[in-house]
Amino acid sequence: MASPGGQAGGGGALSTRGGSGARRMKWALELSLGNTRSRGDRQGGQGDVVYPIGYSEKPVPDTSIQETDKNLVEKRCWDVALGPLKQIPMNLFIMYMSGNTISIFPIMMVCMMAWRPIQALMSMSATFKLLESSSQQWLQGLVYLIGNLLGLALAIYKCQSMGLLPTHSSDWLAFIDPPQRMEIMGGGMVL
Amino acid sequence: MTKLVLLCLKCIILCSTIEAVFEDQVGKFDWRQQYVGKVRFSHFDIHVQSSKKVLLATEKNVFAALNTRTGELFWRHVDKAGPEGNIDALLQHGQDAVLVIGNGRLLRSWETNVGGLNWEVVLDPGSFQSACLVGQQDTVKYMAVQKKTAISLHYLSNGHQRWIENLPESETVDYQAVYSGGNGEVYVLGVVPHSHITIVAYSVDDGEIIKQISVKAPWLSSIRASCTVVGQGMLTCVDSATASFYMLDLHVQPQMTQISLQSLGLDIYPGFRPGLLSTQPNPARPPLSEFFLQLGSEHYLLLQLNNGQIVSLRDFKPAMLASFATTGEKTVAVVMSPKNRTACSVNLFSADTGRRLLDTTLIFNIDPNGGKPEKLYVQAFLKKDDSVGYRVMVQTEDHTLTFIQQPGRVMWTREEALSDVVTMEMVDLPLTGTQAELEGEFGKKADGLMPMVMKRLCSQLILLQAWTAHLWKLFYNARKPRSQVKNDVTIENLSRDEFNLQKMMVMVTASGKLFGIDSKTGNILWRHYLDNIPPNAAFKLMVQRTTAHFPHPPQCTLLIKDKDSGLATLHVFNPIFGRKSHITPPALPQPILQSLMLPLMDQDYAKVLLLIDDQFKVSTFPSTKNVLQQLQEMASSIFFYLVDSSQGKLSGYRLRKDLSTELIWEVIIPAEAQRIVSVKGKRPSEHVHSQGRVMGDRSVLYKYLNPNLLAVVTESTDLHQERSFVGILLLDGVTGRIIHEAVQRKARGPVHVVHSENWVVYEYWSTKSRRNEFSVIELYEGMELYNSTAFSSLDRPHAPQVLQQSYIFPSSISTMEATLTEKGITSRHLLIGLPAGGILSLPKMFLDPRRPEIVSEQSREENLIPYSPELLIRTEWFVNYNQTVSRVRGIYTAPSGLESTCLVVAYGLDIYHTRVYPSKQFDVLKDDYDYMLISSVLFALFFATMISKRLAEVKLLNRAWR
Repeated sequence: MASPGGQAGGGGALSTRGGSGARRMKWALELSLGNTRSRGDRQGGQGDVVYPIGYSEKPVPDTSIQETDKNLVEKRCWDVALGPLKQIPMNLFIMYMSGNTISIFPIMMVCMMAWRPIQALMSMSATFKLLESSSQQWLQGLVYLIGNLLGLALAIYKCQSMGLLPTHSSDWLAFIDPPQRMEIMGGGMVL
Repeated sequence: MTKLVLLCLKCIILCSTIEAVFEDQVGKFDWRQQYVGKVRFSHFDIHVQSSKKVLLATEKNVFAALNTRTGELFWRHVDKAGPEGNIDALLQHGQDAVLVIGNGRLLRSWETNVGGLNWEVVLDPGSFQSACLVGQQDTVKYMAVQKKTAISLHYLSNGHQRWIENLPESETVDYQAVYSGGNGEVYVLGVVPHSHITIVAYSVDDGEIIKQISVKAPWLSSIRASCTVVGQGMLTCVDSATASFYMLDLHVQPQMTQISLQSLGLDIYPGFRPGLLSTQPNPARPPLSEFFLQLGSEHYLLLQLNNGQIVSLRDFKPAMLASFATTGEKTVAVVMSPKNRTACSVNLFSADTGRRLLDTTLIFNIDPNGGKPEKLYVQAFLKKDDSVGYRVMVQTEDHTLTFIQQPGRVMWTREEALSDVVTMEMVDLPLTGTQAELEGEFGKKADGLMPMVMKRLCSQLILLQAWTAHLWKLFYNARKPRSQVKNDVTIENLSRDEFNLQKMMVMVTASGKLFGIDSKTGNILWRHYLDNIPPNAAFKLMVQRTTAHFPHPPQCTLLIKDKDSGLATLHVFNPIFGRKSHITPPALPQPILQSLMLPLMDQDYAKVLLLIDDQFKVSTFPSTKNVLQQLQEMASSIFFYLVDSSQGKLSGYRLRKDLSTELIWEVIIPAEAQRIVSVKGKRPSEHVHSQGRVMGDRSVLYKYLNPNLLAVVTESTDLHQERSFVGILLLDGVTGRIIHEAVQRKARGPVHVVHSENWVVYEYWSTKSRRNEFSVIELYEGMELYNSTAFSSLDRPHAPQVLQQSYIFPSSISTMEATLTEKGITSRHLLIGLPAGGILSLPKMFLDPRRPEIVSEQSREENLIPYSPELLIRTEWFVNYNQTVSRVRGIYTAPSGLESTCLVVAYGLDIYHTRVYPSKQFDVLKDDYDYMLISSVLFALFFATMISKRLAEVKLLNRAWR
């Protein structure tokens, strides 16, 4: 952000102004002719400082720069919103590479893949705050959500293809109680 | 492909459990006891004065030498079971012992010091009658073996036959005994019952008949029962009908002389059964002229033959047993007479005079839980002052051997009844006394606040006391070396251990003696002899109440059925202490066919026992009102089946409300073609954890778990190897529906079956390929359960899927059983007793009909081993490593408190107990688990954390100051 003070350096006479009158100058350059004054004079006669032409005390809003900033923010917000979607091809590749065997690395990958969208979904409000400045906040939020959900679905699909999900009847086999016996029977060879 | 298969196999072998024990675990979890059986012949080794050996030949065809100091086995030789290895005679001479085996089939000589075989000779066929040592001029060089039709003489040194001669007129004459008096002649004594005696004398040198005579004896039916040779070859017989002696001099033999018993001053009551007992200390010399006459069951008479006259030396009344013993040149008579109700006294008498020898009394205490004395074996020895000392080995009716020293010190006892265990059960031990006390406190009814508080305080005090006693014991024992700390288990300090690994083994033996054995150490904790057990009784042991119902004692019931009369009795006892219960079992006037234990309980937590009599009426035990009421409610769901193998009939019955029964089904297996060998149901205590099997595609194949399923094994009556077969029939016991039928052609028994979960494994002999084969049948319901909550045999519309596979097994087997665990989570193994004495633990995984011939992805996923017809015996599968268990008759398995552990008892001639871990010890830390290392690492880490935390704080503070 350009500051108004910086622009003032463009003129021939420079007067370093403090934010307040109480500030002491370390040094000062007086370019006015024949008007050499002592320090004490300067101090006393501050109100007489002559500003260059066109200088105004109030900063002038820079309209052109404001416009590009807005575009930038928009772009940035879209970046944020599309982030999870962009990761999906990468994840697919990792998934393909890691295979379906159950060992420590694929499990770690799957965990990471599942954990990241969950984490993102949990911090959804923070992301929304980030997107606050954008005009398409809701659309971006939706895209972000969809992206994360897709990531999660991918992780679940990976779990499924690795056989980690209890979707088969065999996964519930251990919970089946033995059937109750309705008849009592006994006997044997005649002793 | 083959490489892949090999790789798979390797993986499986590497992954499968390792069963072998480590060297330092030997004897830690297992024990073995070796027995010899009921003694038939016994000889003390007397050729060396200080010998510690007694030789035993038993009815179990075992020849063994025992250490007389400890009762342990020096060595033991187990011959074939059955008549083939039957020991007919035992002759001892010097260091050698000669056995006649298998009805005169073999002659074997053993060296008694180390138990080595000297020689073995096969004899000519013929029915064995008797044998004796033959001496000449004071040396014994031969032995004579007399069979039904021939007599042969053998050298003792090498067994070679010196001569063999046919006995004359052997078709009519029944030759029964052989006698030699050391004068170069061998006499064979034969009888034509109720007609005459025939005596044939052979020359020792060439087997020539020296003389052959027959003497009239119309009163004589058997020489062996009523005759003996006494003195200088005087054949003495006693006849109960005429109450007189008949004497015949074998050398002179003109006539039989009759001496009336009345002339000896004896009062004879009618119907007495006399017996004679003589002794021949040295086979090269004639027998002594003194002999015992047994007049009644408790009446003995010591008689002497003096110049053809019989003199009575001493009358022993009452006397239970009498015997002779010889040491050096002295022979003594040993008589056991009752002293009081619990003790007997044994005394020595001089054989020549009948005078009692001083200071020779020995007291034998009769075990109240044992039988009466039956036989007396005496080891006499000369003391330093030349007087005769002795020890006796008493054999009682319950097959117990007790070795006693003067004046009555029991040196050892051997419970030989345990060589013939019929059935057994394992019962949980009770909690410790203190725990039981606590439980009892809550079990009793509340009676006011103050008494409850007092009771509580009391039990707490008892607990404190027990704890301090325990601490004191620990402290006291800590100073001793570990080996000296003895943990004697007695019946008083018996208590359940943490994991219920120690149990009480209740064993029922064929002799009618019951034993309670501690499963941890093998100590016999109680014994109880049931007298008047018929010789061919059938036993069934049932646990009616376990130890879980504290104030009520545990209760076992033994059903004893006399097979001849069919009548049965019940013996109710406490399995922990062996005491007979005060509950009087019902009298059973009708013959009993079967019994059935119901899961119902009466108000005292005793399970209800149903007894089915031959009128198919049911009686209950206990039969309280409560039980009868429960039974009436349950009656429609109680079924039982009976198998009559003689008629080939299986029949199923249902109970009616009035405790009568109705026949609901019947299956006839024609007895002409095949006979029912065995029927196996499932064990009621068995739990099945998993209801199905997971397939490679992760679907479930549900097991067909029919609790009422029976496996019926039949064998063909035709034993021709082309036509014989073995059949197996899977049958529902409630409905009689035949679920599956399989016939193994060209196969023969004996068939061993195990039936458990959803599988049946059986083993048979294939006559076609001449090998032993295993076959396994598994039953599955399919991919869906018909009814997952209840199983009723009456509502089963779908037949199960049946899978079967067979394998070759390299050995024959003697028995087979499956392991059993608490919850049924652990994988199953088959425990196979091999005739060689090994107990093999074969994983059931190898007997799986789903083993594929071609390996596929799915089968690999399922961990199925590719099919190979041969089952291997791997040496590490032997659970008893080198502890051979002879003649395994049965294996009993019981679950322990640990899911991984199954307790195994193998019984037969020996008893062996061990633990097996079919899926390794997944729930127990290993024996060599390094507690020290782990705990020190933990502590070190803990302190390191503390210290580093402190350091971090200091550092943080310093940084803040900077």
